[in-house]
Amino acid sequence: MLKKLLLTGAVMASMAGTALGQDSYVVGISGALTGPGAGTYAPVIEAVRMYFDKVNKAGGINGHKVDLVALDNQSNPSKAAADTKRLLLQDNALIIVNSSLSSTYEPMINETNRAGAPLLFGGSVCPTQVFPKADPLLFCTTSFGAHYDSNMALAFIKQAAKEDVMIGFSAMAIPVSRGEIDYAEEQAPKMGFKPVAKEIIPPPTANYGPHAVKIKDAGANWVYSWAPWVTQIKTFEALRTQGWGGKMIAFGHINAEDELARVKDDGFYVFGANALFQEGLPIHKEIEETAKAAGATFPVTQLAEGWVVAMALDAALTKTGWPASREKLAAVMNDLEIDTKGLRGGPVKWTADNHFRTDAFYRVYRWDSAKNAIVSESDWVSFPVN
Amino acid sequence: MQLLANYLTLAALYALIACGYVLVYRVSRVLTLAHGEVMMVGAYLLLTMGTLFHLPPLPAFIAALLMSLVVGLAIYWMVMRRMAGETVFAAVLVTIALGILLRGAMALVWTPRLQYPAEAIAMENPSVALGGSVAVSQASLLIIASAVLVYGGLFLFFRHTTWGVRMRAVGENPRLAAQRGIAPHGPLALAWGIAALTGGLAGMLLSIDTGIDEAMAIIGLKTFPVVLVGGLDSLSGAIIGALVVAGAEILAIYYVDPLVADVAPFLVLLAILMVRPWGLFGTREELDRV
Repeated sequence: MLKKLLLTGAVMASMAGTALGQDSYVVGISGALTGPGAGTYAPVIEAVRMYFDKVNKAGGINGHKVDLVALDNQSNPSKAAADTKRLLLQDNALIIVNSSLSSTYEPMINETNRAGAPLLFGGSVCPTQVFPKADPLLFCTTSFGAHYDSNMALAFIKQAAKEDVMIGFSAMAIPVSRGEIDYAEEQAPKMGFKPVAKEIIPPPTANYGPHAVKIKDAGANWVYSWAPWVTQIKTFEALRTQGWGGKMIAFGHINAEDELARVKDDGFYVFGANALFQEGLPIHKEIEETAKAAGATFPVTQLAEGWVVAMALDAALTKTGWPASREKLAAVMNDLEIDTKGLRGGPVKWTADNHFRTDAFYRVYRWDSAKNAIVSESDWVSFPVN
Repeated sequence: MQLLANYLTLAALYALIACGYVLVYRVSRVLTLAHGEVMMVGAYLLLTMGTLFHLPPLPAFIAALLMSLVVGLAIYWMVMRRMAGETVFAAVLVTIALGILLRGAMALVWTPRLQYPAEAIAMENPSVALGGSVAVSQASLLIIASAVLVYGGLFLFFRHTTWGVRMRAVGENPRLAAQRGIAPHGPLALAWGIAALTGGLAGMLLSIDTGIDEAMAIIGLKTFPVVLVGGLDSLSGAIIGALVVAGAEILAIYYVDPLVADVAPFLVLLAILMVRPWGLFGTREELDRV
């Protein structure tokens, strides 16, 4: 499937000038299929591709097919800018999807603003401009969101801890992760926790041991990490290797389900917005069947995030009708409710002011040794986004 | 003591990666910038031994190491051999292109997601208590043991074997070596092969500890200061360079700021370059030729 995506990009590049979109909805994606962060973003793009292959086979949206043009920006800002320009000018894309590192945001926002096209962030961190009061052309479906996530994690620790909380923090040395952990560190005393350590870990790091020693020596009995998955899991495993007996909570990125089953540790909690596949919902079965039929490259457990992106595009295009234009689509997206069919705790609702979601839903999971399975620690919890 | 254990693990890992840079440079005078990718290929080969052939740990390691050796020989035979007679700068550029090619190929074949060879070959990586409250992973102990064995083996190889002496001869003066009947291609290919094997071993052991993702190649590149600090053409220098750089990194993490750890190797490098531009154990004329 990844090969297919890369080949599609190459074929589309060779078709420069060919008119797309005369009888179809054109959706452009500039994402990291390879390069930094590709492990997180490529599964998102693969899921979107699978979803629309299925939709097209069933007759498309409003009787029109969806042409998906996915280009590999390798998380390179100049490539992302060139991709976006090409998708807008040559392929006549109605909407652009970004699924790559935040370094690609600014050039893509500039290009889409110039063309008056909506830009949807899917699987990549939501920029501040999608939160109230939102930029009219920027939208986000990504499950994680700054500040709301930390509020959720700290509230969970407060509820779960049976002792005084000495909290340690771990972040990756990138602005978005650092900023969030700084925020959590500020909030912790308000919850009655004592912050004792904060490790900002450079990417990539060969040995997480020294960072773990500092957290352990500081006496932390809980650790909170909000960072790319590698930093979260490697910090936890280094802590355990060095005999740390505390508990840790981290954001449940796309790898979370496989990793909980691999690590099998009752003291490792993940919280996130997507329901894990172990819940066996009908939507999970649908994704599983689609992935199997399409010969997915990535594990099915990593496809939920991309599926939500595709559901949002589907809902927006369906409501826009035919013929579609960028203006009509943007107007529709400013008042849209996306039914996630249980993949999230509730619908993703966008309003004129809020292009993140009006309510952020979370669920906490962990491994349960007694049951030899992943268990849900709580029902869905929601926080209003305003 | 825990800090010391972590320090030795990091130094051993850096030393294991660094010896590939030194071997290639010492014999061929080429600074390879594809070593991080070659190291990653080794880790993926180990993964494949588990996922495709379901081999248990020891046979999987042996098979992956032999395949890494073949990868190194192939790189020389198919790519670097054609650079004979070209400028060193051109050869370095070719290694950069080779790195990009390998990264793309690995993303296509193995996908860029985080993967765990330890799971694939059913290898446990328990925490090993070393007394008191000191503990390290089993993979960390293997990294330290491997570094000792690899360097010990290489010192013996270069001093006491015909092929080792041939490699030294080709590295010191290829024209004179050729006049004495030593065809350069064999020793050069072997240097690339052994570099891929040792780099691959480092990649395999690191992947047992922390898995493989696309960042592994950057760890290979981060080892570059180790080689420059120690001296590009000195195996002993690589050991000292690894100890110095790992020390600077660990001390920065623990006593200054974890963020400083990222630049600490380069600060050490800068300091060494100002005092001894050819590195602690490097040869002065070698640097002039670069």
